[in-house]
Amino acid sequence: MARLKVYALSTCPYCKQARAFLTDNGVDFDVVEVDKLTGAERDQAVAEVKALSGGTSFPVLTKDGAVVVGYDRGGIMKLAGLQ
Amino acid sequence: MSDAAQPAPIPRRRFAEGVTADDLRGYMAPYVARLGYRFNTDEGFVAELLDSELGILAEAGDVYCPCRLRSGDPKEDAAIVCPCIAVNVVEFAAMRKCWCGLFIRTDVEDGSTLHGVIEKADGPTEVRVAAKDDMRDGEVRHLKLGKRDVALVRAAGNYYVLSNVCRHAFAPLSDGFVEGFELVCPLHGWRFDVRDGSTDHPDSDVRTYPVAVRDGEVFVTI
Repeated sequence: MARLKVYALSTCPYCKQARAFLTDNGVDFDVVEVDKLTGAERDQAVAEVKALSGGTSFPVLTKDGAVVVGYDRGGIMKLAGLQ
Repeated sequence: MSDAAQPAPIPRRRFAEGVTADDLRGYMAPYVARLGYRFNTDEGFVAELLDSELGILAEAGDVYCPCRLRSGDPKEDAAIVCPCIAVNVVEFAAMRKCWCGLFIRTDVEDGSTLHGVIEKADGPTEVRVAAKDDMRDGEVRHLKLGKRDVALVRAAGNYYVLSNVCRHAFAPLSDGFVEGFELVCPLHGWRFDVRDGSTDHPDSDVRTYPVAVRDGEVFVTI
């Protein structure tokens, strides 16, 4: 099973809250801080976020093809298998 | 012409040097109040967001949303300059807050309860469009509500909302004038009853939207 991945902006409080929520619930995850990337890495991450969410609003969380856009605790719990 | 890469243009700074979080609060608060919003009641959260915005201002020249990514195209990015309520009016009405949570609707008592709330505007959504005393009888305004252009009319003390596009030659009805309960098109004088969108011309009625007035605020369901 793939690890949960969080696309975030370093300036975004909801992104921090989403990450803290996962950490507090013992969920392992990877983080991509898109605004900290440059060049091709950034272009790639932006393309992934657009493909997943249809926009560039953060946070975007994904696992096994499922996607949650925003700090949506209910959606994140379902995505992470916490309920 | 040289093929060498040009240096990135220096972004035009939209606020004076030395602007503070309190300065941003001072100019944003009365503006968002006109839209039916106020700062989140979670003060620590607001402080964090405004601090982020000041950092973005220093880097990018304007107070872009801390939770949305800039494309680098100033025209495109104008849609995510804070406050971005006016360009996301339907979505935010459904969420009862803006995307990043800096602003909440004035009818929300505790903004911290909305952290994590992402409700999509899938069905009809009630959007606050004016304070009850904002307009006079006979006045008409153009509103952009999501993808819809509507005319907000006050007549005989009541508010009415109808499609802003005349079905004759597609003129903006909000450029016309109000006589009694009729909104008169500016282009050829076609008349539309603001109460039901009807006109004497066949197959040309315009759509109307339900309006409610509560606690001194005018809401339309679209």
